[in-house]
Amino acid sequence: MSSFYILQTSFPTATAPKPQLCTVVYALIIINKAGGLVYQRDFTEGLNKLSVNDYLVLAGTFHGVHAITTRLNPLHPPNEPPSGIEVMETEHFRLQCFQTLTGTKFLLFTEPFQPNTDKIVARIYELYADYVMKNPFYSLEMPIRSEGWERRLVREMRVLNSR
Amino acid sequence: MVVYSFYIFDRHTECVYSKLWARQDRPISGGSTSIRPISDASATSNGAPPDLGPARARPARLSAQDDAKLIFGTIFSLRNMVRKLGGPDDSFISFRTGQYKLHYFETPTSTKFVMLTDTGTLNMRNVLHQIYVNLWVEYVVKNPICPVEHPGGEGVANEKFEMGLETFVKGFV
Repeated sequence: MSSFYILQTSFPTATAPKPQLCTVVYALIIINKAGGLVYQRDFTEGLNKLSVNDYLVLAGTFHGVHAITTRLNPLHPPNEPPSGIEVMETEHFRLQCFQTLTGTKFLLFTEPFQPNTDKIVARIYELYADYVMKNPFYSLEMPIRSEGWERRLVREMRVLNSR
Repeated sequence: MVVYSFYIFDRHTECVYSKLWARQDRPISGGSTSIRPISDASATSNGAPPDLGPARARPARLSAQDDAKLIFGTIFSLRNMVRKLGGPDDSFISFRTGQYKLHYFETPTSTKFVMLTDTGTLNMRNVLHQIYVNLWVEYVVKNPICPVEHPGGEGVANEKFEMGLETFVKGFV
């Protein structure tokens, strides 16, 4: 894989403007299993800024919609336990939703053509497990205020956004 | 590619047209508790639907009207959410779950076209737009005996529209 990239960069297209890869991660929202907002952060400009209250409403609304979409299954009886919204597409952004086995939801807002968003969410989940869940001072289902988590998350996203 | 269902909602949030394809009402053979013959007496004495397991109990089948109401609620909430985050000119195109994909198209008069397909289907927005232009406008809006509003779906499910939709959907499946 890496050799492939080297080949690409060494390809004589230096005169042409560098192709702008659409890899922008706009924001992350984490919703606990009761539909409460536990974490929200913007990484780059692109989405409207909302008030804290609006983010709380948004988290609750999405939690409800997610529950409804599991019931809308057109295949009856379902072959597998129904899952709620996984990906939502709009004209300006794309929302990747990952629900853990315990019901916590990670919502990642990215550029519409961002590749491998599921990998990014998996990586964020890993960071969450390491720096939030293993933090002895974190109380479950409460807003996340942890410097280590914040620092590593922002670093990870900065690497992605600057690629 | 499979199309499961198609809905039209008017600006009064009412479902004026719905069409279901490939609706699988038969229970799968084996495994399910509904296969087991339940006598009327025991079924009525219970009153409640049979328990299908501890956690993720399979929800009972919803009626088509309830489905339409839930779909409207979903697209309404998502549309508002998208407008809040992406600005007033952003619009919601589709969402996908593990089992199906819902495509959405809204006209400037807030008539909403919704289609449920399997998860592998690509963007169907242009298809919904075609249905709007070639079928809705031609056979419902321009129809002189159709009312302007369609309470209870009045005038929408005319023969031309039904046939056009059927051939159109068959054409790209």
